[in-house]
Amino acid sequence: MNLNLKIWRQKNSQDKGQFMEFHAKDISEDMSFLEMMDVVNEQLIKDGKEPVEFDHDCREGICGACSMVINGNPHGPDKATTTCQLHMRRFKDGDSIVIEPFRAKAFPVIRDLVVDRSAFDRIIEAGGFISASTGNAQDANCLPIAKDHADRAFSAATCIGCGACVAACKNASASLFVSAKIAHLGLLPQGQAERERRALRMVAAMDESGFGGCTNTGACSAACPKEIGQENIAMMNRDFMRSSAKNRD
Amino acid sequence: MNFWKSTIGQKQLVGLAGLALAGFVLTHMLGNLLILVGPRAYNEYSHALVSNPLIYAAEVGLLVFFLGHVIVAMTLQKRNWKSREVKYAVSASGDKATSPAKKSLWAQGMIILIFVVLHLITMKYGEYYTVNYGQGEIRDLHRLVVDVFHQPGYVIWYVICLVLLGIHLSHGVASSFQTLGFNHPKYTPKIKLGSCLFAAVVTAGFVVQPIYVYFLM
Amino acid sequence: MASHEKLKSNAPSGPIEDRWQKHQFDMKLVNPANKRKHTVIVVGTGLAGASAAASLAELGYHVKSFCISDSPRRAHSIAAQGGINAAKNYQNDGDSVYRLFYDTVKGGDFRSRESNVYRLAQISPAIIDHCVALGVPFAREYGGMLDNRSFGGAQVSRTFYARGQTGQQLLLGAYSAMMRQVDKKSVEMFPRREMLDLVTVDGKARGITVRNLITGEIESHAADAVLLCTGGYGNVYFLSTNAMNSNATAAWRCHKKGAFFANPCFTQIHPTCIPRSGSYQSKLTLMSESLRNDGRVWVPKNKGDRRPPNEIPESERDYYLERIYPSFGNLVPRDVASRQAKFRVDEQRGVGPTGEAVYLDFSDAIKRLGEDQVSEKYGNLFQMYEKITGENPYKVPMRIYPAVHYTMGGLWVDYNLQSTIPGLHVLGEANFSDHGANRLGASALMQGLADGYFIIPYTLGNYLGSNKIEKITEDHEAFKASREEAKKRLDQFFSIQGKKTVDDFHKELGAIMWHYVGMSRNAEGLKKAIEEIGKLRKEFWEDLKIPGEANYKNSEIEKAGRVADFLELGELMARDALERQESCGGHFREEYQTPENEALRKDEEFSHVAAWEFSGKDHDLKWSRFEEPLDFEYVKLTQRSYK
Repeated sequence: MNLNLKIWRQKNSQDKGQFMEFHAKDISEDMSFLEMMDVVNEQLIKDGKEPVEFDHDCREGICGACSMVINGNPHGPDKATTTCQLHMRRFKDGDSIVIEPFRAKAFPVIRDLVVDRSAFDRIIEAGGFISASTGNAQDANCLPIAKDHADRAFSAATCIGCGACVAACKNASASLFVSAKIAHLGLLPQGQAERERRALRMVAAMDESGFGGCTNTGACSAACPKEIGQENIAMMNRDFMRSSAKNRD
Repeated sequence: MNFWKSTIGQKQLVGLAGLALAGFVLTHMLGNLLILVGPRAYNEYSHALVSNPLIYAAEVGLLVFFLGHVIVAMTLQKRNWKSREVKYAVSASGDKATSPAKKSLWAQGMIILIFVVLHLITMKYGEYYTVNYGQGEIRDLHRLVVDVFHQPGYVIWYVICLVLLGIHLSHGVASSFQTLGFNHPKYTPKIKLGSCLFAAVVTAGFVVQPIYVYFLM
Repeated sequence: MASHEKLKSNAPSGPIEDRWQKHQFDMKLVNPANKRKHTVIVVGTGLAGASAAASLAELGYHVKSFCISDSPRRAHSIAAQGGINAAKNYQNDGDSVYRLFYDTVKGGDFRSRESNVYRLAQISPAIIDHCVALGVPFAREYGGMLDNRSFGGAQVSRTFYARGQTGQQLLLGAYSAMMRQVDKKSVEMFPRREMLDLVTVDGKARGITVRNLITGEIESHAADAVLLCTGGYGNVYFLSTNAMNSNATAAWRCHKKGAFFANPCFTQIHPTCIPRSGSYQSKLTLMSESLRNDGRVWVPKNKGDRRPPNEIPESERDYYLERIYPSFGNLVPRDVASRQAKFRVDEQRGVGPTGEAVYLDFSDAIKRLGEDQVSEKYGNLFQMYEKITGENPYKVPMRIYPAVHYTMGGLWVDYNLQSTIPGLHVLGEANFSDHGANRLGASALMQGLADGYFIIPYTLGNYLGSNKIEKITEDHEAFKASREEAKKRLDQFFSIQGKKTVDDFHKELGAIMWHYVGMSRNAEGLKKAIEEIGKLRKEFWEDLKIPGEANYKNSEIEKAGRVADFLELGELMARDALERQESCGGHFREEYQTPENEALRKDEEFSHVAAWEFSGKDHDLKWSRFEEPLDFEYVKLTQRSYK
């Protein structure tokens, strides 16, 4: 199939950026979206032009590196899918595809479709952990955890930190990302000791990074490749409210 | 972390105030329904309300909730606008699209705000007709309402705003529960349904009045 | 036999159960107040790197951590699916430290160091304890206890798992522990940095040269020791299950600076990957081999049977693993399962559009357990398969084919995980240590975390405590020289201005490697490979085309450096394979096989680690091969049998 691509090109974070048009020829429907991009880039290089920069790594839908907003949808039209797992059979010959970077003030563009998501690391740094130094642990089975709790914690923990939630939210809010970590650790008995401090510090780090607030539209969960749910955000709200009330500072 | 400055804390204030306001619109709507009973019931009810000394406290409370809801929401909205400097060229579609109703809560709010101001000017501070049912002169609010609801332009504006209020409530009420931290696989779908029903009842209850007045009186 | 004074394993002697404990006691300690004064560089943030950075920072060292991705959480350990082994014996099925040790040595086809492997098995239970303490949400039973499953190559259930995303959950645990130290300012994090060179002063590893991938700047970082946790080199084959950015440059630069490279030809081909579909294919996707617990592998009995799988009757199907290996069946180790699939394809009994695949069929499991239970176990894998191939594995058998997955070879390290360059320690897949010639399923995660959480914190202290390490800064001559060298190399790439892209070369190299240095090898092919790689390398330096400039984010220049190194490493792999005139584990030489096509080891001649020293200069590639003999005091060398 042949496609018309409109891809965002931007030299660096200061550059204004603009769309440029490309033609992708002889694309197989078994290709992944990123393989289609590879083909376009190889052609660009051979034509003496600079290829389109985009983040990608595992191409198995788990590392969270790939991003891109495809025709307005973070990671493209399919639910529970990352861009690397989106396949071209989803498109038709002659389709026009608009490809933009994840856009948010907290995710400045580095080049073309590559954005800086280090704000997420700063949020985790603020409290997305359980303080257990190596060597402290008791036997793993000394702490029975109900299967239901373990499963729910796991579901929240599947977050790959891609930032699609921020990209999808009209407010560029990071609530789903932050709450997934708060819920993962807060649902486990190991995470209780730091639960209050975690909520306070992570929310503070989130707000400081320039993300918007949550208005419960649910766009984040719809775009989330791991289908992380809104119940996590409720849990974050609850933990934050309770911790703020109990906080002695 | 300052609760009052955090996006979550502020949002929770908006939600709490919103729930209180939702309670207010429900009682307001129920009171208004007396128009279907007759002028006397309507006027005596409104008189009873305004002559109760607690009305001042209630009005202050209502004003606080209202201003709190509006001002804090506007503060958050300003922040939200700033959080994405370059907009997308294309908006989300299909499974990943968000319903316009949920996306435009703020715009609904602004129109409702204008409506409320105009509504107060028209009704509370409007023409002061009087009537006497034998216990002294009281305000004939019924007459004012009937006058106003015979203007087709006003009726259309009123109905549009009340439908917007309904849309605002249908998302807003359920959303407040989420914001205040309540989400449960069993109850949340019911809350969402309840929120829609609540919005539908409130809207229907309000809208029925101008229609009744315009077409049947 | 050529031995080398640098190849001293430093493994303790005495009863194997006590060796690690004795060694721990014998090692020097660093006083807590002094730890703060030591800076340690950790390159890579996968399981080994993140766990090492976290543990060392917890002890009080100042750690500088580097990764090529935008976030340390994206390291490719994240893609491990199946699980992590530990000798907990929670299932009461007869597991023990000794059995895990035994299975690992045997599974590695007797080409690993006994002392190392025993220590790994000994440490394994503590890894699970620690990961649980960090909040890793392992699968549990209703009673709240941890669940286990059995995994390729083992007859006990000792594998802990978190649905199909164990690697992700373990990595996020290690990453979170490291981020806690970033918050405490004990770890300094440098993302989007690529290591281009190791800096040595007085023969000791004292720092690294890195390229900032956003600004293109060449930076120097000095330290008292360098830990390399940069993963394996499977991407030599272009198509592998490794991530696109996984590369061997850091390890290769160290090799060229004097670190010996051990057993480069030991690569693991994973049996359950999604077959490739066309020339544009950029990578292969692995599906956890836990699928083999319930799936049955088969091909048609008749050559060239092109019927759709559901139309082939039971009587015309060959469940070849169950037929050949009745006791292990579909759960034979990876190398055996992979090779058998290749044999079937070579017999023209392969399936699918390319004929390069075999079936993995779940219809019996669905009948036995019901679709719900199968989906509970493998739902996400089935979903992934359907996304990639467009076929529903609940209805149609999966098509699978082996793909390069893991490299057992790597930089040579002693018992302390120190390479032949003092101060350069190598952890995780980047070293050669514990898996011999073949790695058992669910053991990579175990090794990465054992190295990072529980070994390096002790052995690094020993190095720092027993060596006098002068203070130096990045202004030292050696750093300056290294920076200039790195810049020169970058300029060289840009100056070629040829016609072919980096990927063109990488694909050609991959084809040579897969063809001649892949699942089965022979002397003639290996010689051919060496010749062809040499030609390709020459062409690379004459006809490469790199667009743009070096002073901003430019993926092509990143890839160019990596492929330039793969073009050298590929040759060493072929040379090693050629010299190792036996078959063992993942290394199958067609000349050395039993009448039943099983690998034929030659213990008399090859019961050793082959460690290669780089003795050339720059583009002039020369190596010397040395041997570290392997002594087996506990495990009796036998022909592996899974029948």
